Amino acid sequence: MIELHRVWKVYSVGPVKVPALSDVSFRIAKGEFVVLTGASGAGKTTLLRLLYRDDLPSEGDIEVLGYDLVPLRRSRVAALRRSIGVVFQDAKLLPVRTVYENVAFVLRVLGTPRREITQRVFDALRVVGLSARAQAYPAQLSQGEAQRASLARAIVRKPPLLLADEPTGNLDDAMEAEIIDVLKDIGGGGTTVVLATHQARLAASLRRRTITLEGGRVVKDEG
Amino acid sequence: MLGFLIGEAFRDLRRAGRVAVSAIVLITLSLAALGGFWLVSSNLERAVAKWRERVRIIVYLKREPPAGEAAALVERVQGVPGVAGVLYISKADALASLKTVLGKDASVVAQLPSNPLPASLEITPAAVAATPEGARVLVERLASLPEAEEVAGSADWVERLSQWQRLLTTIGLGIGAVLAIAAFLTVATATTLILHARRRETEIMRLVGATEMTIRLPLLLQGMLQGLLGAVLALTALVATHGLVAPRLAPLVSLTLGLPEIAFLPPLNLAVLLLAGTLLGGLGGCLARAGREA
Ligand SMILES: Nc1ncnc2c1ncn2[C@@H]1O[C@H](COP(=O)(O)OP(=O)(O)OP(=O)(O)O)[C@@H](O)[C@H]1O
Ligand SMILES: [Mg+2]
Repeated sequence: MIELHRVWKVYSVGPVKVPALSDVSFRIAKGEFVVLTGASGAGKTTLLRLLYRDDLPSEGDIEVLGYDLVPLRRSRVAALRRSIGVVFQDAKLLPVRTVYENVAFVLRVLGTPRREITQRVFDALRVVGLSARAQAYPAQLSQGEAQRASLARAIVRKPPLLLADEPTGNLDDAMEAEIIDVLKDIGGGGTTVVLATHQARLAASLRRRTITLEGGRVVKDEG
Repeated sequence: MLGFLIGEAFRDLRRAGRVAVSAIVLITLSLAALGGFWLVSSNLERAVAKWRERVRIIVYLKREPPAGEAAALVERVQGVPGVAGVLYISKADALASLKTVLGKDASVVAQLPSNPLPASLEITPAAVAATPEGARVLVERLASLPEAEEVAGSADWVERLSQWQRLLTTIGLGIGAVLAIAAFLTVATATTLILHARRRETEIMRLVGATEMTIRLPLLLQGMLQGLLGAVLALTALVATHGLVAPRLAPLVSLTLGLPEIAFLPPLNLAVLLLAGTLLGGLGGCLARAGREA
């Protein structure tokens, strides 16, 4: 499902080279639920971005869902991304569209029939508890609501792989528990889930395989 | 899917706002100018064609041929290349027609000591001789007939009309082309603005797996929409202007050009104008895209 082999990611900020990931290798099997944790700046977002081919590694190989990401042609990137649901740390909602339209968008680009779209979008919004805010625009949402909209968009296609970057970052405890339940449900349904969080408490409470990053290195991989 | 893409195109169009409106206005102007000149020119063309049909060349004969030989002469002239028809008019025929023309003043003719009018041949030129060059050659051939005293009548003024028509077409094309270039550039600018406005959105769309087609086709479509909208407006303006002006000018036109009315453009030309507008807009949409990738 996911395989990283000696992956490095070095950002150049002017003359300074910032190694965001250093020699990272691991495998995640189909259906696994993996927690990716580490302090702020440890490289979690960087790692996830490599998985949906938003960026290329400076060195090393990555395979996701059978796609070899380094030589992957531009035209196939869209196909890869269509099989991955991503909850972005900063939500990344289309600003001039309502929550409903944002979630519907990923189905429209697939050519899903309109009637089916309505049904599935409302199902997804119900799951994340946002049905009432369907007609709101992103600017009118709280950060927690925006993240839940991003989650609804990530799950509406029922992808085989779900990458969630701090999906509970801005939520209260009750809402956090709810969202974690949603993710666990999705994981239970056979979807491979990678959940990134800097909250050590949350990572521990999940009692799943946990990969810990520290300064861009995998320092622990257990559970 | 197509509905979705068209919806996206309309969204883009709205985003371009005022620039899109000016692009549409420019397309309207360019196509209206083109269509207007085309309309006038096609009517002139009709007049030219009509007058060409009516052109007659008269060959005045040195002597009236003896009774038996007129038919042979007609037959011989009939054989001259570029001649479609020959009518023999004897001295008596000529006098008779002069009398009809003079009407009540015909008594003047009766006082003439002898018939001063020459016999003549009235030639209907064939289509090949209807061009200025063809007509000149035909006139030369007829003048070289041993029986010919003088050859009169030529397609001169019809040709002048034809030249005017061609000049008008050229001016129309010129003005239309200049405006079309301006329109095209404005569409491109509008599209560039759209690209800029939706840069962040495009980024997100790509991240969630939208294909390049989904991202780019709406740009092409919105350009085409600008063009089509402009073309429809131009045609509406043409129809309205024609409806308003044509009936008023009809008497003048019928007097000077002999046309019963000012005809509107045929459906084919209308389709060409619509297509031209749509292509112009689509091209503008494409150019902006290419510019971004360069
Ligand atoms: N585009 C970039 N250019 C330069 N440096 C970057 C870039 N993106 C990330 N970095 C650096 O890489 C390191 C890892 O960043 P990353 O965003 O992956 O951390 P993170 O674990 O997701 O942190 P957080 O928990 O705060 O989200 C940081 O030092 C960051 O400053
Ligand atoms: Mg992060």
